[in-house]
Amino acid sequence: MARVKRGTTTRTKHKRLLVQAKGYYGRRKNTIRVARQAVEKAGQYAYRDRKVKKRAFRAIWIQRINAAVRAEGMTYGVFIHGTKLAGIELDRKVMADLAMNEPAVFSGIIKQAQDALAKA
Amino acid sequence: MKGITKQTQSAKPADVVKKWHIIDATDLVVGRMSSIVANILRGKHKPSYTPHVDCGDHVIVINAEKVKFTAGKAAKKVYYKHSGYPGGISGTTADKVLEGRFPERVIEKAVERMIPKGPLGFAQMRALHVFAGTEHPYDGQQPETLDIASMNRKNKVGS
Repeated sequence: MARVKRGTTTRTKHKRLLVQAKGYYGRRKNTIRVARQAVEKAGQYAYRDRKVKKRAFRAIWIQRINAAVRAEGMTYGVFIHGTKLAGIELDRKVMADLAMNEPAVFSGIIKQAQDALAKA
Repeated sequence: MKGITKQTQSAKPADVVKKWHIIDATDLVVGRMSSIVANILRGKHKPSYTPHVDCGDHVIVINAEKVKFTAGKAAKKVYYKHSGYPGGISGTTADKVLEGRFPERVIEKAVERMIPKGPLGFAQMRALHVFAGTEHPYDGQQPETLDIASMNRKNKVGS
C-alpha cells in the first residue's frame, strides 16, 4: 500500500480555512493559527446574530412606527392598543413599511386606531 | 403578484433630505430641550429612521445663554475636566459657563452627551448650530420654528 504523508491533508485543510478567512484584518487572514480562531469565532457570531437579527429588525420597525405615530400626537404603546381594539392585524413590519412609503395609508390606520380608542 | 416577503428598507444616505429647525432657547429647561434636539439630530422623528445612516435634521438654537436649569442646578452642576496629570482635575459650574465667553457650550455639551459616541454621532453633532443671542447665519436655509415650550408645560420655566 502506498505510504500516506500527512502534509497533503494538512495543506488542503489549511487552504480551505484560509479561503474562509479572506478579507480579515492583519494576521487573521494569512496565519493558520490565528485564522482558525477567527473563523471559529466568526461562525459563533453568525449563529448568534441570525437570532439577534430578528430582534434588531423588530426594534427598527417599532422605532419607525413610533416616529410616524408621534407626529400625530400618539405614542407607540397607545397606538398598538388601538390597533388591537380596531381589529387591525397588520404586523409591525408591514406597518413600518407603510409608515415609510405610504404615509396616506398609514394615517388611515392611525385614524382607525384613534376611533377604536375613542369608543372603548 | 410578486412574492409576499419584502425586505425592510434602509434610508439611503443620498436620498436623505435634511430639513432645518430653529429653536428659541429662552427660558427652556436645558435637559428637556436637549433630549428633543438630540432626537431630531438622530432622525428618530422620521418614519424612515435607519440606525446606521445619518438621517437627522439640522437644528439651530438661538438665545442659548438664556437657557434655564431647575432645582438650583445652575450653581450645583459641575462640568469636570482632567488635565491628565495627578491632581489635575478642575471644573466649572453651569452658571459660570452661561455667564462666560462661550455660553453655547452648556447646550452643546448636554446634547453631545445624549448622542451615541462614534463616527455617526460626531457627524450628527455637526448638524447642531448653537448661538448666544438671536443672530445666526443660516437664514438662507429657511429654518422652521420649533416650539418646544408648547409640547409640555414643564419644558419652559415659569409657564
